[in-house]
Amino acid sequence: MVAPGGRLMDAIVETFRWLTDAASWTGPRGVLARSLEHLWISLVPLASAMAVAIPAGVLAGHHRRGQAVGAAISNLGRAVPSLALLVFGLLLSVRVLGLGFSFWPIVFTLFFLALQPLFTNSYTAVREADPALLEAARGQGLSERDVLLAVELPVASPVILTAVRITAVQVVATAPLGALAAGGGLGRFIIDGFGQKDDGQMLGGVVLVAVFALLVEFAITRLERRVVPGPLQGRTDAAAVVATGRAN
Amino acid sequence: MTDPMIRLDGATKTFPGTSTPAVDALSLEVPTGEIVVFVGPSGCGKTTTLKMINRIIEPTGGTITVDGVDVRDREPHLLRRDIGYVIQQIGLFPHRTIAQNVATVPRLLGWDEDRTRARVDELLVTMGLDEELGARYPAELSGGQRQRVGVARALAADPPVLLMDEPFGAVDPIVRGRLQVELLDLQARLRKTIVFVTHDIDEAIHLGDRIAILNVGGHLEQYAPPEDILREPATPFVEEFLGPERGLKRLALRTVADLGELGLGNCVQADASVEEAAQVAAEHQERWIGILDGDRLRGWAWVSDLDGARRAGDVETSLFRVALSAEDTLRAALDGLVRSRTGVAVVLGPDQRYDGMITLARLNQAMVS
Amino acid sequence: MSPVLAQASGGIRWSWIGDNLDDIWEATVEHLWLTGIAMVVGFAIAMVLSVLAIRYRRLYGPITATTGVIFTIPSFALFFVLAPFTGLTVLTAEIGLVLYTLLVLVRNTVAGLDGVPEDVKEAARGMGYTRNRLFLEIELPLALPVIIAGLRIATVTTVGLVTITALITFGGLGRFILDGLQQNLFVPKLVVGAVGPTVLALVLDGALLLVQRALTPWSRRAAA
Repeated sequence: MVAPGGRLMDAIVETFRWLTDAASWTGPRGVLARSLEHLWISLVPLASAMAVAIPAGVLAGHHRRGQAVGAAISNLGRAVPSLALLVFGLLLSVRVLGLGFSFWPIVFTLFFLALQPLFTNSYTAVREADPALLEAARGQGLSERDVLLAVELPVASPVILTAVRITAVQVVATAPLGALAAGGGLGRFIIDGFGQKDDGQMLGGVVLVAVFALLVEFAITRLERRVVPGPLQGRTDAAAVVATGRAN
Repeated sequence: MTDPMIRLDGATKTFPGTSTPAVDALSLEVPTGEIVVFVGPSGCGKTTTLKMINRIIEPTGGTITVDGVDVRDREPHLLRRDIGYVIQQIGLFPHRTIAQNVATVPRLLGWDEDRTRARVDELLVTMGLDEELGARYPAELSGGQRQRVGVARALAADPPVLLMDEPFGAVDPIVRGRLQVELLDLQARLRKTIVFVTHDIDEAIHLGDRIAILNVGGHLEQYAPPEDILREPATPFVEEFLGPERGLKRLALRTVADLGELGLGNCVQADASVEEAAQVAAEHQERWIGILDGDRLRGWAWVSDLDGARRAGDVETSLFRVALSAEDTLRAALDGLVRSRTGVAVVLGPDQRYDGMITLARLNQAMVS
Repeated sequence: MSPVLAQASGGIRWSWIGDNLDDIWEATVEHLWLTGIAMVVGFAIAMVLSVLAIRYRRLYGPITATTGVIFTIPSFALFFVLAPFTGLTVLTAEIGLVLYTLLVLVRNTVAGLDGVPEDVKEAARGMGYTRNRLFLEIELPLALPVIIAGLRIATVTTVGLVTITALITFGGLGRFILDGLQQNLFVPKLVVGAVGPTVLALVLDGALLLVQRALTPWSRRAAA
């Protein structure tokens, strides 16, 4: 640990040099190709987890059932370290399904990672709809299906979307873990940079992942403003975040 | 009169960022041992004024003294330990038991354990709270019980002054009425100097020895005992604020006992002759007559039914359904009177002794005199 | 998990676990140490930040934004970033772990203190509480359930992150994961490394819940 100030300067200069080197960006191992990979290994598990966990959470919340199961999923889901999930994804892909390394292990990992926050928040959002509102809806003769689709879902939509945003950021920020299991994406720069003692490449990778995550956050925030009914906007962040909070 | 306990002299509060004062140069004195009620519409500065007394809100002008000492000459937290404080939401500490809540100020003042415990027990009894409630938490109590604990907590260190900011505003009307009566009972024993804020004129009339009616900007419209305010509202604002039933409200302030001796009224003894009974009824311009057995009132009969009988007591009588006692208000008397078929309200003394009857004319005479 | 593993095993050496209980225990203790230090330091820093954020509202936005950005950095990357400066030391591990606890702890502490009812605070001031006493005796105890909820989340997160410090030679039970990966997916080690921390997290979470119940008897009776 000699002259940390000098080393910090060096690191910044090297990172800047790597990031501005055209060679870093092009080719099958360049930033552009890796970014696309990163998007792909994030999008596939996120979309699949949404397709499974949101309907499940919404239905469970609507029937106000499975509170114990929900709490267990929520607790266990948070308690399993992401590295442990990677182990699980690896074994599943390599040993059980024979799908090999690189793509599938990290996809499985991120799929399992995304299930818990999506399910928990969808469940809570629907379950905590104002009972008076539901009574009023039923009192006007709405069927159970109508109550779910026309009342509970719109009211729950801000929380669910917030959960999607937070989960997406989490998935994108955890995806680099896949590089440990020979996967692609932006994590490669970090692992390879570390392995080759190339600080510029490693730190460049970290910067890229953070920028990628912030872009995803920004994009989904814009989407939320479009999709969520105006009066319901901007009231939900704290609740959803507290229910989710997890570092990767 | 002894020196006033609280004196406001030009008390002013201008909140930051506003040009017009919320309270503008308000002066009044609160006599020792009285309940003074600040009442007025929202924005009249009644709560602001109250909170300037214990410096929850800092005055921006004028002086306020409590027991002769300028409140600004004292550390706020020390000043407040000498002044009881009750707010509408009560603000009981949810994490402390009832006993610990009541012991708050004694603890701040550094009382020893035994003295504090004895005081808490005493106050729970005073406020009509079960001793076992002491070990419970506030969330386990009803609204009325919590309100009593709030008052007990304010009284804990026996402060000479009590500030109450809409203390009964959040409880239902029945409990509120009961709490008001309890407060008056308590005051009859303790003789604190109480400043009480409410927006409810009826509550003000019921509780106040004096009422200060405030208009927007802390402008004092009238400051007088309730009876005076109802009889002679000083300004059109006061008149409007008192509402359309001033007469009824005044009736509520006075009791049957205030009327003094009522006399026999439209009654005869059971052994009186029919002629005598008819003559008494005619004198009272009534078509019925009350029948007495000594000092008991048997009931009443139509004069026309007496035809053919010898004595007034020989005919069947109907009962008076409403009977008042000396402590009832004149408002209750009026109510009994309009509900009765005979148009009078009967007053009974101890042991159901007949004390006389109240007529509309008698009520009217009492109110205009 | 077991049918999956059984299918994949074709003769997994489960006896490895029984033969290496000493190592597993040692790793567990290290895991707890790393977690404990991070929680204590993180909590202390979070309390300071929270009090600052409450006294000076303008600081709250920047504080949560900064800690929020830290959340978007993959933890292993953060350890790598620190390594050139602080070496493969326990300091590197703890800096990373502490940083990750801050967001949840600050947010919950601020939310907890903000949630103290205004009427309770006014009543306390009206009875002559000084500012410091109000904070220590009224605001802090009332914020405790939300603060401890934050501690629980942060603890569970930290237990998980400790596994990743295996990349910089620590890792507690997480070391078995790296070993297992390097030994051509040696399943017993992978299972110990994955299941161990999960159990540890659940146990600590439950323990903190019990602590909260013991410290705030009033909140439970109120809910009943």
